[in-house]
Amino acid sequence: MSVLITIVAGAVAGGTSILYAALGETISERAGVINVGTEGTMLVGALAGFAAVVEVGNPWIAIPAGAAAGAALAAVFAFVVIYRKASQLATGLVVMFLALGITSLYGASYVSADVHGFTTWKIPVLGALPFFGRVFFEHDPLVYISYFVVPAVWWLLFRSRWGLLIRTAGERPEALRAYGVSPSLVRLVAVTLGGALAGIGGAQLSTALALSWSEGMTAGRGFVAVALVIFGGWRPLRVMGGAYLFGAAITIGSVLQVHGVQVNQFVLDAFPYVLTLVVLVALMRREGQQAPEALGQSL
Amino acid sequence: MTGFAASVAPAVRSRLTVPAARHLAARTLFWGGMYLSALVIFGAFTALRGADPFAMYHAMWQSTVLNAYGRGQVLDKAAPFILCGLAVAIPARAGLVNIGGEGQIVIGVTAAGGVALALGTHVTGTPALILMGLGAMAAGALWAAIATVLRLVGNVNEAIATLLLNYVGADVLNYLVYGPWRDPAGNGQPAAKPLPEGDSLPKLGSYAHIGIVAALVAAVVVAFALKRTSWGFMLRCVGGNQTAARRAGLKVAWLMMSAMLVGGALAGLAGMIQFTGLEGQLRPGIAATFGYTGFLASWLARHQPGKVVLAAGLLAGIAVAGDSLQITSHLPGSTVNILMALILLAMLATRSRSKAAA
Amino acid sequence: MTGIASMAAPVAERSEPVTPLLDASKLTIAFGPVVANDEVSLTVYPSEIQCVLGENGAGKSTLMKILYGVYRPDSGSISVDGQPVVIDSPLVARKLGLGMVFQDFRLVPALTVYENVALAAPGSGPLLRRREILGRLAEVSKSLGLDVDPQAPVRTLPIAQRQQVEIAKVLVAGARILILDEPTSVLAPQEADGLFEQMDQLRKAGMSVLIITHKLREARKVADRLTVLRGGKSVVEGVLPETMNDSELIEAMVGRSLAPLPAERETMPKERNVLELRRLKVPGQAGLAGLRGLDLTVAEGEVVGIAGVAGSGQRELVDALAGARPWTADSFAVGSAELRRSDPVIALRSGVSCVPEDPVAEWVIPGLTIVEHIVLARMREGNGTAGRRRLGIDWKHHRSKTGELDAAANLEMAAMDRQVATLSGGNIQRVVLTHVLAGESTLYVLAYPTRGLDVASCRRVHELVLACRAKGAGVVIVSEDLDELLLLSDRIAVLHDGHLAGICDAGTDAQEIGRLMLGAAA
Repeated sequence: MSVLITIVAGAVAGGTSILYAALGETISERAGVINVGTEGTMLVGALAGFAAVVEVGNPWIAIPAGAAAGAALAAVFAFVVIYRKASQLATGLVVMFLALGITSLYGASYVSADVHGFTTWKIPVLGALPFFGRVFFEHDPLVYISYFVVPAVWWLLFRSRWGLLIRTAGERPEALRAYGVSPSLVRLVAVTLGGALAGIGGAQLSTALALSWSEGMTAGRGFVAVALVIFGGWRPLRVMGGAYLFGAAITIGSVLQVHGVQVNQFVLDAFPYVLTLVVLVALMRREGQQAPEALGQSL
Repeated sequence: MTGFAASVAPAVRSRLTVPAARHLAARTLFWGGMYLSALVIFGAFTALRGADPFAMYHAMWQSTVLNAYGRGQVLDKAAPFILCGLAVAIPARAGLVNIGGEGQIVIGVTAAGGVALALGTHVTGTPALILMGLGAMAAGALWAAIATVLRLVGNVNEAIATLLLNYVGADVLNYLVYGPWRDPAGNGQPAAKPLPEGDSLPKLGSYAHIGIVAALVAAVVVAFALKRTSWGFMLRCVGGNQTAARRAGLKVAWLMMSAMLVGGALAGLAGMIQFTGLEGQLRPGIAATFGYTGFLASWLARHQPGKVVLAAGLLAGIAVAGDSLQITSHLPGSTVNILMALILLAMLATRSRSKAAA
Repeated sequence: MTGIASMAAPVAERSEPVTPLLDASKLTIAFGPVVANDEVSLTVYPSEIQCVLGENGAGKSTLMKILYGVYRPDSGSISVDGQPVVIDSPLVARKLGLGMVFQDFRLVPALTVYENVALAAPGSGPLLRRREILGRLAEVSKSLGLDVDPQAPVRTLPIAQRQQVEIAKVLVAGARILILDEPTSVLAPQEADGLFEQMDQLRKAGMSVLIITHKLREARKVADRLTVLRGGKSVVEGVLPETMNDSELIEAMVGRSLAPLPAERETMPKERNVLELRRLKVPGQAGLAGLRGLDLTVAEGEVVGIAGVAGSGQRELVDALAGARPWTADSFAVGSAELRRSDPVIALRSGVSCVPEDPVAEWVIPGLTIVEHIVLARMREGNGTAGRRRLGIDWKHHRSKTGELDAAANLEMAAMDRQVATLSGGNIQRVVLTHVLAGESTLYVLAYPTRGLDVASCRRVHELVLACRAKGAGVVIVSEDLDELLLLSDRIAVLHDGHLAGICDAGTDAQEIGRLMLGAAA
């Protein structure tokens, strides 16, 4: 039981950074833009958050810093793909390279820096619940915030007028134009907002989970976030499940090792990616996975 | 209008109309401005870290263009970049997005290294190189096939599948060099036994190896296959409209598979060239980012084999110039990614595209 | 519904002068050398139904797009309520009270009915006025007699209902003039009558309705006044229907009279069936029924028409015949071969050639020229080696073959090096028809063959169909135009909800076929 609790609690902690990124990507893809650059936006968010906390000394600064860095990079991406009609995949990869370069240049001096990052808050009452207390209510504050971000994103996409515009931009952008709304602007805003969330995800990684900065520390989490959006069927709640599943896959190895089970390190490293693929196969065979119609298309 | 003006005007107009000239000038200015700003922004980025941009650009120029050794390095880098670009361009004809060059080249390196270890000193020289090449191509093709099967059978987006498999591919290599293939005689570094001296790729002149020749031959063959053969024609049909191709009786699944297999094989070959031409020893992180660079080269070239060669050459030049950053400006090696990304963004942004799919 | 014409209260009889709701005067617009509208004038009064008649390419759609702000005219003026206006975007058009119901419906299929309506309703800021919009929708639905779940995704609705939702959407958005572009092309005759009844209700409620159509019969049935366009000019402007007889109107639309197709046809020996289907089942997509056990035979030298309300299984039938959709059947025989499974290659080799329902989605490959399309289409014919040269393709062979097809079909196909995807819908149709009808096949399957063609080309297509029949081939024609089916077919099979509702002889009355289309027992 305690092993299970450790794994599931670890899944929530380890999956949260991906959850933020995947929520951001959900918004972006609902508006019709695939942002593979999420890997890059997470990375700049991770460094910006970390550096801000080191310089200021207050962990909360990580949120605006990560969000701003992620949003800025995503806005560059959005400008090039929306207004210059460049390929979304190619530009996404370029943005990833840009982030790799920028974070390696400015991150060098933070590599072994100490940080007073987020600490674990045990929520009173809820934290005392059996199983659920440890799993959901003994984490850093960014995890708790993500519990609110998931329904907020759902509300934004499916209940608000802006969400209607975002989804229409991803389904039939020309229909928006007929209603006097610029689909380009809607996409730009959606992608930038998505980048801000991915940036916060990166900041969670460096200032709450790892409490350190290292070059390329996102290690493909941004790409996984893109995959999770597909298997979450472009729905926030299911994306949340996917993120925790991936978190579990990351955690399971170290937990097993602690309990004396010998599994090769590299098999464990590959496991989350293989799991993601397997789940994708299992889900995509089912019907009803409807991608936004104009996903990936220029205007 | 005077008679003089009237007699001159047609001659001038036939060459270049005034609005056209103005348009051309504006375009040139726009282009130039974009690239210049890429250089300026990169300069600003590095200056913020205390580097002298002018000295830096000077060193970059020196180390690549004005230096025979540097030129050789550019050719050596261009070879795998070209092959990885072709590995993207061929599937793209069939409408497939192969972001898996990264994994396919690593698996190619691994296979070439595995063949080398298996052959040991029993088979050497050209036969060994041929066997390594075949092994690497088969392995790269196999790696690409996994993603294609997932796409065809499991309906999983091949871009995502190839992307995720890149990480798995890197883990395969890591597992082998940290584990079974680790050279016990090595000095503590995780690496396999070095390639025997005589099994390296032959040199081309004094600074480059013949990989670039192989890459150029591959580009010519691919260009011919895509443009002139019925296979290339059918790939185009599949890429243009799968439904229409299927209704016309084409075996869409097989055509897609064949495109991915050939692409994967070329990326695998790139791995073998990198291994036998330069590295000579399996180590973690070998050929990292080559696959992504090839992907970008192919997209810049709009998947035209000839232009892939040019784009890959440009990217190779930037990559080599980046090595000088570490030495002369004491900046981290991946800093050059910023410059590459900025130039690529400029190129992507200055192209007017018609309705383009992802 | 027979009463509609009598309910019409001609505006011209009103004594006091009425300010027109919409007055478009001398609109001209040219696209390159093509003058699509040449001094076209149109006046719409309050509470009237006006029909704009004209054949394909007469400039009707262009006129509507000008009124709706999609195009800006090169010259001419528009006024609304007597005030001159500049309509430079659909947004402006909507604000002025113009509501457009497009032929291809501009609904977003993934969104629900409510969301589609909310998208069109005026609004700003992050919040939706959910209750208000739902209330308006309920009100409008009630007045239209529309019974639809506001939370149902539009994608799951049958086509006739989507049209109703589109109308409701436009009304909720506050339209005073409803413009309907070829509204009956997706409806059975009875459904069309229902629609006209609704329009009459709207007119009584003070709205004006502008209906664009090429169907004279319908225009007569519903219109208070008629405008006829031909070749981009308004040749008849707002006359009362009773002042012109049918042949005068046809002459106004077509500009010349066409000799009718020979009514007497050689009776073919129908000894052998070229198509035999027993209990053909094809699963439908997206909530549609598909085909649920169809028995159908087509004899050599026989033309069988397929009638039915949109979505009754026509697409599934055409796709199954083309081998493009999986099916099961007790028997599926083409010519002398019994087909075992769905495969385009098997279908092609057994002699089926097919004009697909949606050529742009199912036949056209972006970037490829006409010759290249012919090469592709012929790639799997015969043993697959025709027109190949070693590894490559024998372009010379295919170019001359394309020329032969073009000459044989004589359908004014575009130059063979043009890219097909850049052609207009009608010209794409000509390419497909040239390939199919000028080629040799055992069974011709034609889905909506004359869509987008002008009268003369339609006529040529009909001749080619009859020529195929005379050669002893079987022909299956799916069409939404009952007149066309009645003209060409030896028998008409009526589909309803995936079943065969009945088989009629060529002489059957259109109303009877309409009854079958709506599911009445034969």
